[in-house]
Amino acid sequence: MDFLSDTVVLSRLQFALTAIFHMLWPVLTTGMGIFLVIVEGLWLKTRNPDYYHHARFWSKIYVLNFGIGVASGLPMEFQFGTNWAPLSEAVGDFFGSILGFEGAMAFMLEAGFLGIMLFGWGKVHPAVHYLATIMVAFGANLSTFWILVANSWLQSPSGGEMVNGKFVVSDYFQAILNPFMVKSVAHMFLATLETSLFVIGGISAWYILQNRQRSLFSQSLKIVLAVAIAVAPLQIFIGHLSAEQVYHYQPTKLAAIEAKWETSPAGKPADWTLLALPDEANQKNTWQITIPNGLGYILEFKKNLSEPVLGLKEWKPENRPRMVGLIYYSFRVMSGIGFFFAGLMLWSLIQWLLGNLAVDKINQQKWLLRAWIFAAPLGYIAVETGWIVRCVGRQPWTLYGQIRTSAAASQVPASNVLVSLSIFTIIYTVLFISTLYFGSRIIRQGPNLALPVPGLDNQPAIAPQEVEFIPDQRPVES
Amino acid sequence: MEALLHFLPQVWFVILALFLFLYVMLDGFDLGVGILSLTSSDEARRSILMTSLGNVWDANETWLVLMGGALFGAFPLAYGTILTALYIPIFIMIFGLIFRAVAFEFREHSRRKVFWNFAFGAGSFIAALGQGFALGSVIEGIKVDAAGHFIGSTWDWLDWRSLLVALTLIQGYVLIGSTYLILKTEGELQKTHFRTAKLAAITTLIGAVFITIATPIFYETARARLFHPPQVYIFALIPLLGVCLVGLLLRSLQRQEEITPFVWTILIFLITFIGLGMIVFPYIIPTQITIYQAAASPSALVFMIIFIGFLIPIMLFYNIYQYVVFRGKVAGSAYGD
Repeated sequence: MDFLSDTVVLSRLQFALTAIFHMLWPVLTTGMGIFLVIVEGLWLKTRNPDYYHHARFWSKIYVLNFGIGVASGLPMEFQFGTNWAPLSEAVGDFFGSILGFEGAMAFMLEAGFLGIMLFGWGKVHPAVHYLATIMVAFGANLSTFWILVANSWLQSPSGGEMVNGKFVVSDYFQAILNPFMVKSVAHMFLATLETSLFVIGGISAWYILQNRQRSLFSQSLKIVLAVAIAVAPLQIFIGHLSAEQVYHYQPTKLAAIEAKWETSPAGKPADWTLLALPDEANQKNTWQITIPNGLGYILEFKKNLSEPVLGLKEWKPENRPRMVGLIYYSFRVMSGIGFFFAGLMLWSLIQWLLGNLAVDKINQQKWLLRAWIFAAPLGYIAVETGWIVRCVGRQPWTLYGQIRTSAAASQVPASNVLVSLSIFTIIYTVLFISTLYFGSRIIRQGPNLALPVPGLDNQPAIAPQEVEFIPDQRPVES
Repeated sequence: MEALLHFLPQVWFVILALFLFLYVMLDGFDLGVGILSLTSSDEARRSILMTSLGNVWDANETWLVLMGGALFGAFPLAYGTILTALYIPIFIMIFGLIFRAVAFEFREHSRRKVFWNFAFGAGSFIAALGQGFALGSVIEGIKVDAAGHFIGSTWDWLDWRSLLVALTLIQGYVLIGSTYLILKTEGELQKTHFRTAKLAAITTLIGAVFITIATPIFYETARARLFHPPQVYIFALIPLLGVCLVGLLLRSLQRQEEITPFVWTILIFLITFIGLGMIVFPYIIPTQITIYQAAASPSALVFMIIFIGFLIPIMLFYNIYQYVVFRGKVAGSAYGD
């Protein structure tokens, strides 16, 4: 248990834990924000009350996730100072500025309009409310943009150079437009969208299978389907482009992703391993299933490699990532989920074209609906494993090729980090279980169809009870 | 060029002071209401307290995120050194803020609310406590080497002076929280907060008097700066103005005015803040590292002014708009009358 007294390892564990946990919430709210813009737009355009109920129902799940996202985001920012002070000092000029931009442009925009989006129904003009919904979604996605700018810059630093242990920026726009930026932003934008689409789709499928508000939820399932049909294959393509940039800029990461110990020269085909058991001590795979000549097709859609693919043995152990097995399998889990999503889209599209998704027939598609429910949590797993590949695979560097992770950590006593890490573990376990519990309660309760629809004379047959004041409910909500 | 090298860090010192002031004022009443909720005897009252914050707490807390990001970008050295030195109080604050933030939604859906009520109240208290200790020890000074790196020990932040600052800050939060609730509630609930405001005004005043006396006695550098003309006149003026404002506040509470107590409290916060800023300036790590030593490169500071500085009026505009939309009393706050 040596690591319990190693500040660097504990700080890394703490950052990993807080990042993995934090990721779960904004990944949903960023994508769902766009969905809320779509349904509110449809409501304003068609005045079909169903869309209004969608906007109100999904925003309940939205806000449950939102609060935890905000709360768990704080330690992400502050850890750069508490646990990674040498890094902060070295890269503050650029990295710190970018986190500042995220606060000023993205978080503030999101937070400044969130209150109106959640509690402003009936208090402001519908157009202003719609503007608030758009600003919340826009702010969240701007936040994706700036965080991915910052992280991509750590992956492929550019726009300046290290001088006396400090990164001096000569061109800020070149640093923003670093080699990884565009594809990484696109990959993460689609990932948040895809994850939330499949959460919404999975929950809708569950209602349809339960025969609850079947027509309402086949509506949301179809909205999701219409967007996801485009997003799922596009994400595979962007994912491929992202792997290609790893091939060019981060050869150590590519070698770990493929558990490749020996170098394959350019101009020749190379085998691709489908599955393997990496053995780091002996620098080989204990066993592997290979596909002959597969690597060239996967990386470049052709048989022969145009650049050599370097094996891990090319670097000394201290200059290449460890935990090869974790990186290798995380990558396969992520891409497997991507292909599963695309397959599910194809299946759903065929059934749609055959007319089997019509409201009166849709609940006969039991296996399709079950597959959608099964898909609901998969987006999260793909996002988490993707980030594990991205950040564990970047090791031993924090700023790739420039600052080692071991040099980036603050010299705080290991006991401090051990205590904060333990408290995070306990709190986050409680929050995770609580959210699942309350989330499933919201879903089991279902949408409140008794909510009066603004601007409609024909109020629902079941009139809402005249409530004087129920202390346990937010007085402003209804 | 020399003038520019001085001017840019000063601009950022002022911007950071503005963010910190907005945070302390806005999340101050937010946390204050949270601490007050610990004394609420029934669920209905607690519900109204939380509803009064429901639409604003997130935006209020975002000023802290913004201040952190701006400090990181503008004074990277100070960001690393201060947060490393304050490892424990910073995490105390973070854990407190996490609990109170999730309590808003979880309490809403929970059938047994006791746990989340406590998470909300105690979380607010703990967050304020962490902030108070952090503030207190930054004013006291942090041990650094010539390069500005932290060389002290992990418990340096804990002594009776930082405890005094922490307790006073909590009183200040309770005060501004009470005056905010006077604005947002009616009837019995409002009467309660006239009482809590009066009590908190007195305890805050006592804490502030002690801090004002202790600072020049225990800090040589502060003494040297404070007791030289022309500063001495300004520094003499601030406590005087502070006492006058507390007097005006107490009078407005006595007369049961609704809006003025909140206004006087904000002015008290502002005057305290200006006093603190003048003691700290031009240091960012008092009294070792100046803003000029800790500043990021001039190009970074300009880059940040372009992307953050010009957004400040826009951010203020939509934040104010949100307060305007939700102005007035919390629905149902006359409950029980």
